[in-house]
Amino acid sequence: MRAWCDAMWGIVRRDAILFASYRTQLVSQVVSPVFALAIFYYISHMLGRSFHSPGGYFGYVIVGLVIVEILTLSLGLMPGVVRQELVAGTIERFLVSAHGPVNGILGTMLFPLCNAFFSGFLTLMLAALIFGLPLASTAILAIPVALLGVVAFLPFALLLVSIVMAFKQVAGVSQFIVSAIALVGGLYFPIALLPGWIRWASEVQPFTPATDLMRHLLVNAPLTDSASVELLKLVLFSTVLLPAGFALLRLSIRYGQRTGTVAEY
Amino acid sequence: MTSTIAPVAADAREEGASAPDEWARARGEELLSIERLHHRWKGPKPPVLSNVSLALHPGEVTWIGGRNGVGKTTLLRLAGGILLPQRGSVRMGELTPTAKGGRYQRRIGYLSAGDRGLHARMRVRQQLDYWARLAYVPRARRATLVAAALGHFGLRELAEQRVDRMSMGQRQRIRLAMAFLHEPRLLLLDEPRNSLDDEGYKLLGAQIQRATAAGAAVLWCSPRGEDRVLTCDAGYTLEDGRLERVQ
Repeated sequence: MRAWCDAMWGIVRRDAILFASYRTQLVSQVVSPVFALAIFYYISHMLGRSFHSPGGYFGYVIVGLVIVEILTLSLGLMPGVVRQELVAGTIERFLVSAHGPVNGILGTMLFPLCNAFFSGFLTLMLAALIFGLPLASTAILAIPVALLGVVAFLPFALLLVSIVMAFKQVAGVSQFIVSAIALVGGLYFPIALLPGWIRWASEVQPFTPATDLMRHLLVNAPLTDSASVELLKLVLFSTVLLPAGFALLRLSIRYGQRTGTVAEY
Repeated sequence: MTSTIAPVAADAREEGASAPDEWARARGEELLSIERLHHRWKGPKPPVLSNVSLALHPGEVTWIGGRNGVGKTTLLRLAGGILLPQRGSVRMGELTPTAKGGRYQRRIGYLSAGDRGLHARMRVRQQLDYWARLAYVPRARRATLVAAALGHFGLRELAEQRVDRMSMGQRQRIRLAMAFLHEPRLLLLDEPRNSLDDEGYKLLGAQIQRATAAGAAVLWCSPRGEDRVLTCDAGYTLEDGRLERVQ
């Protein structure tokens, strides 16, 4: 277990070193949320009191923005990161190491997830400090919920990475998934506005309960179901989808190892 | 400058192996056994490997040559567990490449052909430390083995430099240092002489001698005979999917 942890830490440390070696990356990651926040702050002003939610539309959309940011930086980037590893031949290192390819790829996902988490937290802090978003007293509880949300997001990342391992490319697919989640997960507007024929999609993925819970804990927005039901949904999605995601990844690697395409890019 | 290879008997005890390599060598037992290996790429081509069998013994160096694209790298990838056999088997004692906990991979050191597999913006020491972690080198030995690998391949003065600012030969030394770092019992080297200068080649030869003296086996692949390691115990050429002994 100790060797496993050391290897995982080695991968996270590697990614942190690589991230820090591009100096403008951190600056742009800190500055760009300010522009998104400003845009939605003024849209919220335009909507005024016509949007009924604690903290107005700004309070409502901010949680959506944070989640989109987390999704873009994790789900959106991970397939590209793994593809880059294939091209650089560094995936081969995982294949010949004691740590193995599944653990190696899981490790490769950790830094983007931590980075996305940090970025989401920063966006929230900027919203509170610069744009005066009133955070609820329960805001601190959003951290464990967000962590659970990340566990529920992970199977989607594993699905995309499995496609990369088997077919080498998912160009555009991750962006499509992030946009679809933003649409049916109620990230920018209430799902009640969606036409009935697509509303079922809001119920069959973990993003809607995660968003509802986060919104409730951060800005006191009302919940459609009770908090325990929303939490249970999130736990159930994680419990079912996560093992399936790992099984799929294992399968895609084995497929590449048998056909000989695992080292191709 | 020198560091000792972990005593194989202790290593075997730790990992629950049935017999230490010293005994295996004395009894002429195989370290790696490849049997009736078959591999075919997609499409209407003949198999790249057809019923290939090969045995590697502790302390021996084996060379495989052959034309470009004849299947040498595929054979090494199969031996290293990067690819899995479509037919036939690859074994190291009781272990196959799919053994749980990376028990097979702990025993191999693999050098791929070309210059890939390095993180360009990492420093040399970071790169080696990273690899030592992936190879499950125990925490207590990690710094010692990284320092030894730097010394063995003449990388001490480059330890704090970034990889992307290095020559191809220097990069090859880093890749070799990674292959030898965790003191594997089986070294799989694909065109290891690539870009190496004379000094680098001497250092490589010394490390091969050191590893085989401690009971490791080496499988060296390169297209031309003159690229092979200076002394080898067996030589083969690969042609039309079959291995033919030439030495």
